[in-house]
Amino acid sequence: MTLWRYEARRAGPAAVLGPPLAVALGVAAAFAYPEPSDTTTARILLGGLEMAVPLAAAVVCSALIGRDPAREIQLAAPTPYRITLLRRMIVVLAWTACVAALAAAVLIATGWWARWPQNHGLVAGQLTWLAPTVGLSGLGFAAGAVLRSPAAAGAIVTTVWAIQQFFGPAVQEHRPGRLLYLFATTRGESPAEWTANRLTLLGAGAALIAFGLLLLGRAERLISEEDE
Amino acid sequence: MTAFRASVRYEFRMQVRKRSVWIVPALTLVLFVLIGGSLLRDLFDPGERPLDPRTGVVGLAVQLHALLSIGFGCLLADRMVRDDRLGVAPILDATPASPGARLAGKYLGAAAATAIPIAVAYFGFAAAYAIDIGQQVAMAWALAAFAVVIVPGLLLVAAFALAVPMIMPAPLFRVLFVGYWLWGNIVSPEMMPTLARTLFHPLGGYPLDALFDFHGIDGEDTWAGPVAGATLNVLRPEPTPALAWLSIVLLIAVSAATLAGGHALRARRIH
Amino acid sequence: MRIEISGLTKTYRGRVHALENLDLDIPTGMFGLLGANGAGKSTLMRILAGIVRPTAGRVVVGGHDLATGSGRTAVQRELGYLPQDLGVYPDLTARRFLDYVALLKGMDDSSARRRRVGELLEVVALTEHADRRLRGFSGGMRQRVGIAQALLADPRLLIVDEPTAGLDPEERIRFRTLLSQFAGRRTVLLSTHIVDDIGQTCREAAVLAKGRLIFRGTVEELTRRAEGRVWSVVTDGPVPAEGTVVSALPHDDGMRYRVVARTAPSPQARPLEPNLEDGYLAVTGRG
Repeated sequence: MTLWRYEARRAGPAAVLGPPLAVALGVAAAFAYPEPSDTTTARILLGGLEMAVPLAAAVVCSALIGRDPAREIQLAAPTPYRITLLRRMIVVLAWTACVAALAAAVLIATGWWARWPQNHGLVAGQLTWLAPTVGLSGLGFAAGAVLRSPAAAGAIVTTVWAIQQFFGPAVQEHRPGRLLYLFATTRGESPAEWTANRLTLLGAGAALIAFGLLLLGRAERLISEEDE
Repeated sequence: MTAFRASVRYEFRMQVRKRSVWIVPALTLVLFVLIGGSLLRDLFDPGERPLDPRTGVVGLAVQLHALLSIGFGCLLADRMVRDDRLGVAPILDATPASPGARLAGKYLGAAAATAIPIAVAYFGFAAAYAIDIGQQVAMAWALAAFAVVIVPGLLLVAAFALAVPMIMPAPLFRVLFVGYWLWGNIVSPEMMPTLARTLFHPLGGYPLDALFDFHGIDGEDTWAGPVAGATLNVLRPEPTPALAWLSIVLLIAVSAATLAGGHALRARRIH
Repeated sequence: MRIEISGLTKTYRGRVHALENLDLDIPTGMFGLLGANGAGKSTLMRILAGIVRPTAGRVVVGGHDLATGSGRTAVQRELGYLPQDLGVYPDLTARRFLDYVALLKGMDDSSARRRRVGELLEVVALTEHADRRLRGFSGGMRQRVGIAQALLADPRLLIVDEPTAGLDPEERIRFRTLLSQFAGRRTVLLSTHIVDDIGQTCREAAVLAKGRLIFRGTVEELTRRAEGRVWSVVTDGPVPAEGTVVSALPHDDGMRYRVVARTAPSPQARPLEPNLEDGYLAVTGRG
């Protein structure tokens, strides 16, 4: 357990602060709406979980690789460094899940969850935040493994997120775009494909994490200068 | 002045040769083309493209600015804290060069280098469009739009990206920055209190409206001025050319103030 | 732990040849590795530590072939490694940093780990600073933390790259003694620019230049390579043009130079007894 505590510390303060800040911003956006209606407020509240929380987790995951000052000691240790990085990612995702699940519980208890018609229930509905979090974090982790630069990996994550924000309808014109659309619960144009979309995001996230781990198996790539 | 010039040159060279400075905008453009519906495709489709070359290149400027500035900000997010992390800062601090000149050089050098791919993409697409429609005047509009819409916005983003990570971890800045970019540029003022369409609009609402008479590709959008029922309308006077220039000056002034704040903070930390 | 290296080649991207067809046997005990910057020492150390993979050739450490994943892991279990560019986590205290590295090395028993960390903090004279964050440590203190982490799991193979950099003379002597005592039936591979450190601790050494092995033998043999090539020149004129000037001391009649050169640099030059540094310069072709 001690090792997990150390890895939690290595994930950095952004990992701790990011998810609650994301939830807080979502709540602030919902109640800043000047013409509140139950449906719109509920949509923005669920949107905070579906949009802001995954972004916070993914940007932190994209920063896990490339700036470890003790990486040479890590690489010479019998514990594989990629396992250490995976532990850090699990810590980030677990903390994000705690915060998101707590926020969802509050929304359920206060009735806001039910006020968004496409909420997909209390249990399966948790994929609202879980699927985009895993999908986008997987992208951040893989981009970090390829580029070894938190700045570049973070830029890719934020850009993909922003493209889907700015051009939601265009992204969803074709089936691959609909299946990979991060915000299918609150901005989805094809509710019938919601489950397929969520499973695709989970699968894509898992595949990207596996790809990142495969790349990280070549320790030599990590020892060479990062793209500063 | 020598320290400033040397710093600009050094930071520019360091940044422009980074793979990620080129990879990130390139990937963004690929995704942008793939999803369709953007001007990157429509400009070359006789059935979709705007008839007026000015509308075409100004619309392209808005789309590329909105999207590529996000990667631009994230890539610059640690340039100032990086010197301390790599242990370069004490060496530079020991030189007779003024810290202010060094900071200004770092800011302009790194920002210019990171903006090069954006300029290449913008002028590349604009030139192809100008050739395709046989109207070279499009390039003149492209130059003007780059100077008064894209450059002031990028200067503001670069100042934030250099200074704000002094007070928070860079990943947290990236999250908040993309949130701000969405909120301060894209979110409709009817939806929530926002700085979008005010005089402080990094996407350049006032210059777009008052200097380029741009109202979206279809001519139906409003980019500046009061919005019925919205809060903060006090910051949204009716657009005029003078207010457009004031808006640009405001962006540059806030950039300078942000940078000065970061500089003061760093000076306090090392003394 | 015997190390057998045959035909070892490492080429980085961009066709930089860090090591070329290297054959080297390293026996149990202290073994020195000398070479200029860029000679390939750090690449060799990283290959032996299982971090970098060779382009060609074979490396067997204590019977484990480093070409296989299981071989690398087996070696890493027996390894203590102090890299040249030691990075630490500045937000951790020295005690916590060592505790964390011990966990990475598989020391799961917390009381044994605590005891071992305490012992090593004592060995590197950091007990009274153990609970201070590494952020505030001087270069020498960080280096001592690095030495302690390398010794954590009582390794059978210790690889140390420039270990005495940043240490004051007293600390350097203490560390050299520590390494010699530690060696015993273990293998300690010491890479350094400080030739004197090798002379004081190692029986055998190798010299690398541009990725190739140019010397392998005892330190006495290395010293003898400079026999007949070391000169004392006293002059108030210009610096001797031939060979390499090892030292320059003010003298009543100008300056006294110690020069390593194939032939006497001036008619007045007097031959001197060589030392290890002279031998190193002689084999690297700089004298």
